Amino acid sequence: MRQKYVYASWLTLHFLLIASVSCRDTLQMVVQGPTILPFSFKNPLKKAEKIVSIALAQDLAASNPIRQALATYLHISGIEASYGYFAPNVPGSYKLVFELHYHDGRVEYELPSVSSAAAAFRIAGLLDNIGRTRSDALREHLVKMMAQSIWREHPDVETVRAIFGSIGLPSVRDFEHGKRESYEFLYAYDFSLQNEAPKPNDH
Amino acid sequence: MQALSERLLGFLFPDGTDQWLTILRVGLGFQVTFYSFSLRNDWNYLLSGAGNGVVSRNLAEALLSVESHFVPRLGWLVTLAAPVGLSEETVLSIAWGCLLVAGCGLLVGLACRFSAILAWFLQICTAKSGGFVSYGVDNFMTIGLFYLMLSPLPDRFSLDWRIRNLRPKHPQLLGFWRRVLQLHLCVIYFFSGLTKCLGSGWWNGSSVWRALIRPPFNVIDPEILVRWNYVFPVAGIFVCLLEITYPFFIWNSQTRKIWLVCICVMHVGIGVTMGMYLFALIMIVLNVAAFGPGLSRMERCTASLQPQKAVS
Repeated sequence: MRQKYVYASWLTLHFLLIASVSCRDTLQMVVQGPTILPFSFKNPLKKAEKIVSIALAQDLAASNPIRQALATYLHISGIEASYGYFAPNVPGSYKLVFELHYHDGRVEYELPSVSSAAAAFRIAGLLDNIGRTRSDALREHLVKMMAQSIWREHPDVETVRAIFGSIGLPSVRDFEHGKRESYEFLYAYDFSLQNEAPKPNDH
Repeated sequence: MQALSERLLGFLFPDGTDQWLTILRVGLGFQVTFYSFSLRNDWNYLLSGAGNGVVSRNLAEALLSVESHFVPRLGWLVTLAAPVGLSEETVLSIAWGCLLVAGCGLLVGLACRFSAILAWFLQICTAKSGGFVSYGVDNFMTIGLFYLMLSPLPDRFSLDWRIRNLRPKHPQLLGFWRRVLQLHLCVIYFFSGLTKCLGSGWWNGSSVWRALIRPPFNVIDPEILVRWNYVFPVAGIFVCLLEITYPFFIWNSQTRKIWLVCICVMHVGIGVTMGMYLFALIMIVLNVAAFGPGLSRMERCTASLQPQKAVS
């Protein structure tokens, strides 16, 4: 009987954590919007999100042992993220094009490529991460690393320009009227062989 | 209070066979094996840390360390192998091989517990070290493998049971671990449905359309899809309602079959129309393992007449 109580207690804690993570991410989603909920909902939900974050030890210092232990458990049990895939709406996707400039003036274009469809989903996820991050430094660093991987395949390239943009998806009606997916320029970075810091061109 | 407590314990610790565990083990065995094969050619490219990959694994691991230093990662294996002269590339290849072996071990039921722990450890290392390139399927594999390695293995269809005559140490917990999986699926679908319901796109069908034409999920030509545009709002609402009502209708024996079949059909649809075969497979495996056994009338009779047969 004692064993049953121990397992039941673990289960209670485990599901409290699952529910807390799911609630926090759902509230975050509503706060960041847009959703079908009215704008007036945002403030109280923001407060609720903060309370749930406190319950998940998010307000403690990153080095705090309780926060570290909780984060470890969430990760090893696979419950650190919620389940709002393609929600509340399906976002557009991103595209990264590398413009390869050779010594002889030749210019070639290259896309990040992998050999299987399963890996292609992962590259698409990486581009989503680059597109959605709010940190310019992280975005630049990720694009630089991807440019380096292209460079290894084309060692005779002099400079690489990485052009990052978002793909706009047409609505059904627009598609029926002949509109197709569009590409919107967001950022460009220039990399040269001298290992210089990339020069962000525009965004 | 005592009666309530007993009822709750009765719910959490039901009697049952290990049929669900067989489905989970074999299903995850297939999943881990397919997962390994699908990434065979890109494994090192996606997970390298020393400037040989698409993005450095070290960056994802550094960001993970901000959250916790104790989450398993491939960097640990690379560091451990360095003193014996193994290169990072070799370690990654060995890790891939071990994951494949663990998947095959689960498939046939050989060294079940060890295979489950190894698969969980390597899968979590891969998912966390490749944080920038991981997606939903990694999450669900971690969940499935986490529950599998804690469940009372081996099951009666495994080679461990048949050839090595091994028996689970705590067979009375079979029902409990099935309940955990069942409850977790209910939370997953409830929140998945709830968050979709919050977006207007799922009510007017535009999210279904966008999901199907969004690269790299655009498996079907949009010119063909657009002919079926009247289906999108129906499909969007259907998905929302199916998911959000899952926790309420999956427990009832009258509606369980309908919801389980519909959910599985939805995941098959996602796999076929969006090319997400691995995602479809893991979701179907988790659903069928959790709610599949005991569905048919014949199975129900067998289970109720011989609850201890599987665990004796």
